[in-house]
Amino acid sequence: MSMNQTMTAELFFQQVPYILPEITLAAGALIIVLIGAFMGDRGSRLVTWLCVAVMLAAGAMAVLHMPPEQVVVFSGSYAADGFSAYAKLIIALTASSALLLSVDFLADKKLDKPEFPVLAMLATLGMFIMVSAHDLIALYVGVEMQSLALYVLAAYARDDAKSSEAGLKYFVLGALSSGLLLYGCSLVYGFTGSVKFDVISAHVAASRDIGVIFGLVFILCGLAFKMSAAPFHMWTPDVYEGSPTVSTAFFASAPKVAAAVLFARVCFEAFGPAQKDWLGIVVIMALLSMVIGALFALQQTNIKRLLAYSSIANMGYALVAIACGPEFGPKALLVFVSIYAVTSVGLFGVVLSLRTADGERVETIAGLSGLSRSNPLLAAALTMLLFSVMGIPPLAGFFGKWEIILATSSVGLLPLAIALILASVVSAFYYLRIIKTVWFDEPVATMVPVGTATALTLTGATFVLAALTLLIGLVGSAATIAGAGFS
Amino acid sequence: MSAEPHAASGLAETLAHVVVLAPLLGALICGLFNRFIGEKVAMFVATALLFVAAACAATIFIGHWNHSLHLPAKPIRLATWIDVGAFKSTWSIRLDAISAVMMIVVTGVSSLVHLYSWGYMAEDPHKPRFFAYLSLFTFAMLSLVTAADFMQLFFGWEGVGLASYLLIGFWYHKRSANDAQIKAFVVNRVGDFGFALGIMAVFFVFGSIEFKQVFDQIPQKADMMLAWGVFHLPAIEIIAFLLFIGAMGKSAQFFLHTWLPDAMEGPTPVSALIHAATMVTAGVVLVCLCSPIYEAAPATAGFITVIGAVTALFAATVGIAQNDIKRVIAYSTCSQLGFMFFAAGIGAYQAAMFHLFTHAFFKALLFLGAGSVIHGMHHEQDMRKMGDVARHMKITFVIMLIGTLAITGVGIPHTPFGFAGFFSKDAILETTFAAGMTGNTAAQLAFWMALIAATLTSFYSWRLAFMTFHGTPKWKADADHGHDHDHGAGHETSDSAHAHAQPAVAHVGEVAHDAAGSHDDHAHHAWHGPHESPLVMLIPLIILAFGAVFAGSIFYDAFVGHYAKEFWGNAIYTAPDNNVLKDKYSVPTWVFYAPLVVMLIGLAAALYFYLFNEGLGKKIADRKGLAHAFLENKWYFDELYEAVFVKGARALGDLFWKIGDGKLIDGLGPNGIAAALNFGSKKAVKIQSGYVYHYAFLMLIAAVALGAFILYRGA
Amino acid sequence: MIAVAAFYILSAIAIASAFMVVVARNPVHSVLFLILTFFTSAGLFVLLGAEFLAMLLIVVYVGAVAVLFLFVVMMLDIDFAELKAGFLTYLPFGGLIALILFGQFVMVGGAWVEKSVAAASIAAPTPAAAAVSNAEAIGRILYTDYIFLFQAAGIVLFIAMVGAIALTLRHRDGIRRQNVTAQVGRTREQGVEMTDPKPGQGVVL
Repeated sequence: MSMNQTMTAELFFQQVPYILPEITLAAGALIIVLIGAFMGDRGSRLVTWLCVAVMLAAGAMAVLHMPPEQVVVFSGSYAADGFSAYAKLIIALTASSALLLSVDFLADKKLDKPEFPVLAMLATLGMFIMVSAHDLIALYVGVEMQSLALYVLAAYARDDAKSSEAGLKYFVLGALSSGLLLYGCSLVYGFTGSVKFDVISAHVAASRDIGVIFGLVFILCGLAFKMSAAPFHMWTPDVYEGSPTVSTAFFASAPKVAAAVLFARVCFEAFGPAQKDWLGIVVIMALLSMVIGALFALQQTNIKRLLAYSSIANMGYALVAIACGPEFGPKALLVFVSIYAVTSVGLFGVVLSLRTADGERVETIAGLSGLSRSNPLLAAALTMLLFSVMGIPPLAGFFGKWEIILATSSVGLLPLAIALILASVVSAFYYLRIIKTVWFDEPVATMVPVGTATALTLTGATFVLAALTLLIGLVGSAATIAGAGFS
Repeated sequence: MSAEPHAASGLAETLAHVVVLAPLLGALICGLFNRFIGEKVAMFVATALLFVAAACAATIFIGHWNHSLHLPAKPIRLATWIDVGAFKSTWSIRLDAISAVMMIVVTGVSSLVHLYSWGYMAEDPHKPRFFAYLSLFTFAMLSLVTAADFMQLFFGWEGVGLASYLLIGFWYHKRSANDAQIKAFVVNRVGDFGFALGIMAVFFVFGSIEFKQVFDQIPQKADMMLAWGVFHLPAIEIIAFLLFIGAMGKSAQFFLHTWLPDAMEGPTPVSALIHAATMVTAGVVLVCLCSPIYEAAPATAGFITVIGAVTALFAATVGIAQNDIKRVIAYSTCSQLGFMFFAAGIGAYQAAMFHLFTHAFFKALLFLGAGSVIHGMHHEQDMRKMGDVARHMKITFVIMLIGTLAITGVGIPHTPFGFAGFFSKDAILETTFAAGMTGNTAAQLAFWMALIAATLTSFYSWRLAFMTFHGTPKWKADADHGHDHDHGAGHETSDSAHAHAQPAVAHVGEVAHDAAGSHDDHAHHAWHGPHESPLVMLIPLIILAFGAVFAGSIFYDAFVGHYAKEFWGNAIYTAPDNNVLKDKYSVPTWVFYAPLVVMLIGLAAALYFYLFNEGLGKKIADRKGLAHAFLENKWYFDELYEAVFVKGARALGDLFWKIGDGKLIDGLGPNGIAAALNFGSKKAVKIQSGYVYHYAFLMLIAAVALGAFILYRGA
Repeated sequence: MIAVAAFYILSAIAIASAFMVVVARNPVHSVLFLILTFFTSAGLFVLLGAEFLAMLLIVVYVGAVAVLFLFVVMMLDIDFAELKAGFLTYLPFGGLIALILFGQFVMVGGAWVEKSVAAASIAAPTPAAAAVSNAEAIGRILYTDYIFLFQAAGIVLFIAMVGAIALTLRHRDGIRRQNVTAQVGRTREQGVEMTDPKPGQGVVL
């Protein structure tokens, strides 16, 4: 179903219900920012809760209002379908979880201002638009909306030099990637005469223009940056390390889902007929991401940097799922990225829960030693999450990778599956090293159990996320439905 | 569970169930519940159940012998075990002459050994475990002899192997016992490998592993050839040979015999039951059971004849130079098994089974008698430390004398007067000579070797008797004899086998020390010289003595005489041209008398060396002549195997482990890759410089490179 | 004819000044060249008949953005000479990359010309250019067909605003702020004090 006729008032109101999740988020942001303005810093905790509520509501709306088959509204710029609905739910869940984790940390650092949750929510709005984008303008607007908010979140600890550096780096490199993206968009527009995905797709199917393909390369480069896929990953470790940990937790989860889903949508929907052209690029990016993610992480001593490389490697796996094409890729991609995003938030939840006796936040791997003694439950949760992200059955992470390998075997991309397995083996080393440090190394600093009333929310959230890892069956079936609705 | 409708509860079937299952029940009760019902009760239950089984087995055997009981033609099916495609195996009880004979042998000796162990093991703190193992062994052995297909046979085969392993190492504190049990297991593994291959070959060739179906098909498959590389060999010969490899391992035949003497590390009742009367005869049973196969495989039968004869002679030669009382009997067992095998090899399966039957009595008797001596001498096993024991242990002496007379084969030809061994050994020698007359070269060879072996048998048996019971006493009644560990020094020099690295007295000593307060009276009181064993040990000896005297004359006719065909029925197949059993009546007269003569020669020699000129044997030994050393060291088999197999295997293992696995696989594989990855990643992280313009530049390069890639592909 | 000549002149100036933005030693010159680039680009828009966009370019980019740049460059104490020190080191490789990129664009442009996709694929202006003015046409679709994107773009600006505030707004303690009520509401008594200093003495305040 497509509603591509000229907009009238009647048509407008007919189409509005489809963008209800976005409207909810936008209206919510505007209202909450006012509440924040009136209440000042006192209201930051309330604002956080409100934002979480609105985001969860928006995510629920996306799923509840999911049309049985794809509906394209607003002159072809917005697509409502199962694929995007499912992605929005995961984005809302992980983003709001990351937001919940932030409360205690921000209060600790005296950064608890209402802008943080509002910006996070606006970034989430950007992600919603990204996953529903059905033309190049919506794509760009969504990407920019998300990125702009994330730049601010990266620099949020403005008195911290590292945070400011991270924000600036992210901003400058992000601008460059947006330039690449826009350049690609204009090439595609120039050669096809339209920004709409269906028109582009029809054009690509009819003729193979070098200009369109070249534009595609640039678009994919720009999107790869947002996804932090190699070789456009360079910002990731620096920004992850420099940003406040709560921002990093946010970066590592929902935006990855959004970028991966958008990447898939561009490949499958706009350039579906040009699969043999983008396949090569996707395969190169996937291989590079897996290799770099696995190799570079080996030398890291900072947990956040390590998790940055881990996310690069995982985006490599996601690209493998995209390489499997529109028939088998979507389901594998959704299962994988949703599990990855949830696990990732969980991991950062653990990192956020680490605090030494003198109030220092632990950021090095060596600092984790002794966790098993001071907080065995947290250590167990961390171990389980790491085992999951390693891909040890029966934890969820295994099924994510399993789906991808199944998809590769369905389309005959076995070399990629082998590369995935090898990368997993190498990366298992550094995950296992953390586990070893946690359980077997002599403690270097005394850790305080994060048992205060405020910290309870944080640990609670961590455990919930750890437990969620077990709900793979649910995730799998939902992703199957979502992936099947998409073509 | 009876699958077959015909399995109506005939008396024989009912009894057979009891025979097979009673020992299992005993083993379970005694092994698992002894803590709940108490040690004595557990032992009593196990022993009582064994006696019940023995009574039932005796009823079956006697009933079959005097035709008062009909054995069912078909095996009793208990349950399906394996049913995979054509590969079917059923738990069953096969009742025929062979299983009837074996059942009475196994349960008879086993029940007596159970009883004997009450006395012999009285000081041991782990009696229930011992009794459970004994009962378990009995069950396994019974399921072996009553198997109706090769798979159950294999189960029993491995079951007795396990029980043997457990019982040899019963005194697990002893290093030598552990070594011996491992040796027994490993050497048996060689045989079992052949046996398993044989079963696979049977299935491959016949498409079934059930005895009946296999044997029925033999005429059709007689000419079948199997290709193996460039060789084309007759299928039947291959099967026969592989099965015999299994039999060689289990029955300690030449090349695979090395484990048996070391197995004497186990308690003496175990030696009597497993390593003399029953388990080691399983190979003979196998060959007799598979007589249809061996009748169709003349080459392998010849091989069996030669191996059997060589074993008989070899073990006898070694036996004359051993000083450990149990080892002498062990080599004697080995030798007698050789007799059985070459008898089976020439086609006289009945004679083999007959010798098995009588041998069970007198060899169990000898072992238990030796056990009685050892018990009385307070766990002294070296015959050089004995002498003049007869005065103190009169009953044991008489019993050992009967056993010696039986094994040396004393009897008057053509009359029913003679000890059990006389009849069976004569039957073997006569049939062998008869087979030799038909032109069987192997049989001719075997006959002469067996004659020499019989001479040596007589010599070493009498030597044992004289050294132990007569002459001057070499023991001293002193206070600390029992635990004098120096004592072992002489022992060691006399016996270089590594199995005796520790003094044989150590076992009970250690066990007794462990359980403070349960010290027997030997342990801490002054030792006053040999004393007679308790009644509970003497009763089994007396019962066995009756068997050793009369078993031969009573059952001669049924086993190998005029009623043999009737007695064995379908259990043993003899080819139409195999008439050795009848031909044995037509051998020259001197052949009848030859065994008796050689026995007298051996006796005379033993009298000369060990009674009239006491100390002569010691002088010969002290001279350390080559021949004596060769015999004393058992033809250097252990040393040879140590050098070739043990060291060779270790060297090969080291090669694969250190070079193959460590350097090549690990070095180039996991460790090498890990090191390379670590090195590579250390270099690679330098790219991550932290400068924005580096990153930006790299992004541009990547974009251009990808663009170039696409343009290149598009061109 | 004049249009063609104008196009080539304007584009030549645009490219040359863009190049100068990069290579100029003085950052102030760079910004001025940037402004020149904007101007010539605006001229190109006019040639295309998009006078509204041309106006936007001048008003927004030249009037606001570039002038802001100029202020920032002049106010910050940055040693631009040092920043450009690495220029020559990276020139060969960077130049090579630029050359390859240029080659690729030439190929793409060549494909455009060769396949003459232009006529077929150029998006038709909605509505017809002759019927309404430029600004009117943009306005029409901006608030109808592209309402969703327009609002989304608004959100982007909103984020920029919130972000800027979040990053820069500080509530410093000890700052004297203007209190208009107090200022207006004070009386003469509060504001004026009469003193009567003796000659040769000062006033104590």
